Amino acid sequence: MVSQLYDKTLSFRTPFTPNQKPHKQKRKKSKSSTHRHRHRYRASMAEDLVLDTAIRDWVLIPLSVVMVLIGILRYFVSKLMRSSQVPDPKIVKEGQVIVRARNLRAGANFISPKSFRARRVYFCNEENGLLHVPKGQAQNAQAQMFSDPNMAMDMMKKNLSMIIPQTLTFAWVNFFFSGFVAAKIPFPLTQRFRSMLQNGIDLSTVDVSYVSSRSWYFLNLFGLRGLFSLILGEENATDDTQRMMQMSGFGFDPSKSLGAEKDSLDIIQHEWALPKFEQRAETVLKDLVG
Amino acid sequence: MVTKTEETQLNRLENQVDNGGGGAWEYLCLVKKLKVRRPDKVLRHGLSILNDPKKRSALGPDVWTLYEQVSIAAMDCQCLDVAKDCIKVLQKQFPESKRVGRLEGILLEAKGLWAEAEKAYSSLLEDNPLDPVLHKRRVAIAKAQGNFPTAIEWLNKYLETFMADHDAWRELAEIYVSLQMYKQAAFCYEELILSQPTVPLYHLAYADVLYTLGGVDNILLAKKYYASTIDLTGGKNTKALFGICLCSSAIAQLTKGRNKEDKESPELQSLAAAALEKDYKQRAPAKLLLLTSALKSLKTS
Repeated sequence: MVSQLYDKTLSFRTPFTPNQKPHKQKRKKSKSSTHRHRHRYRASMAEDLVLDTAIRDWVLIPLSVVMVLIGILRYFVSKLMRSSQVPDPKIVKEGQVIVRARNLRAGANFISPKSFRARRVYFCNEENGLLHVPKGQAQNAQAQMFSDPNMAMDMMKKNLSMIIPQTLTFAWVNFFFSGFVAAKIPFPLTQRFRSMLQNGIDLSTVDVSYVSSRSWYFLNLFGLRGLFSLILGEENATDDTQRMMQMSGFGFDPSKSLGAEKDSLDIIQHEWALPKFEQRAETVLKDLVG
Repeated sequence: MVTKTEETQLNRLENQVDNGGGGAWEYLCLVKKLKVRRPDKVLRHGLSILNDPKKRSALGPDVWTLYEQVSIAAMDCQCLDVAKDCIKVLQKQFPESKRVGRLEGILLEAKGLWAEAEKAYSSLLEDNPLDPVLHKRRVAIAKAQGNFPTAIEWLNKYLETFMADHDAWRELAEIYVSLQMYKQAAFCYEELILSQPTVPLYHLAYADVLYTLGGVDNILLAKKYYASTIDLTGGKNTKALFGICLCSSAIAQLTKGRNKEDKESPELQSLAAAALEKDYKQRAPAKLLLLTSALKSLKTS
């Protein structure tokens, strides 16, 4: 589809007719006025810009290639710079507690009521239950995280390795590739997106579907994640957005999930499933014997 | 647990490699992934790869993991010189490595030098206190020395931090059973059932422990768990069938005086007996007489 856009005369309304005029044109008016009847109320929509093939060759493809290369470079740099992280014993223990509490919830119906109740008290007890987080501690977690020098350094390093290439590439794109239409988005957009997608193009009559190279940069930024996971394997440092989401929720994560587990454990009603099993065993054996 | 497809794949590769076909490297990778214990085969095929310099270079950086795998297999088969050579190669390549330090500790264990091995593990544990393998090796040392109370203590401490490790719970349960601490063993089995409720082994073991503990309530509970085992295995588990018969007769004995109407499943015992007889007829007809007389004595007692 994209390549068709960059071929010679390509009408917006009939995408599959062979081209008639062989030479390049910057702007083409559609011939029949009858066609335009329907679209007169949207005058700006009726023009189709035909874009130079040179744009495709010298803007889109090099930009994508450069971003892929930068991503690979960042992956290797992050591998070199990665310091082995000493796992905090408290965090490990909390993770395991959560898994065990979840198992308790899942398998609650398979053990006798007495043992279930005993375990529930063990987890949810007000004074020293495992899942009980006293109020003061909940706030501490994030503060502690930032005051701990090692962890702060680690986070800063990861942040830097993310932010610097992004900033540099963005500045480069803005400097070199601004001021012209780079691509056409295949679906129509509202006027609100104009300021975001058409930053270099100072014509207000151009359809919002025609975007500048800045939007191609953003498209690549989010879209190349899939490509990187193919090339570099699952764990790669280019998973920026995921990491950003993780980090925003990091500080509260342990205490919140503990509290959540405690609540769900408190709610659970124990339904002793074993008596049913006797009946089921009977039927099984009946089939087997009879 | 190994799934069925993986098991068939493993057997197929094993046959292929044993009979001289290629694919030794895939076999070794699969063994490593599934964590099965095949020391003699791993040793044989691993050494055949390592002693051939062409194949060695074909592996690239994976050759070091192969060295590690072969050294552990060699220690399992008590070929300690082979193990020592492998470890020396690894030491040259990775001088200050934790993993190589672990292997050296295991070598000391294999030689039977418990004190040195323990010292090595303690020093390694100081540097990284959260390595589960090191903890487990320490427990293994205590168990091999026959020092069960220490093993229990260390395993409990390990489980305080890593409480979702079901292998450790299983090990603890077995140690308790061997020491006849049945109540604690029952607790461990409950943990196992919670984490993996569809594995019939744990139900069966739990039922055995409950039956051994004795008392009407426990035996009633045991009967329920034998029934769940039968349900999970489709009636094919002989031990569970026997368990049902024994439980029913024990209950009948214990409640002889009282009039208990807990017959939620009155036919279970007779059905179990019938299933047992059918099974024996198929598989061990010579012992059928023994079985019928035993069952009769159970019913009448």
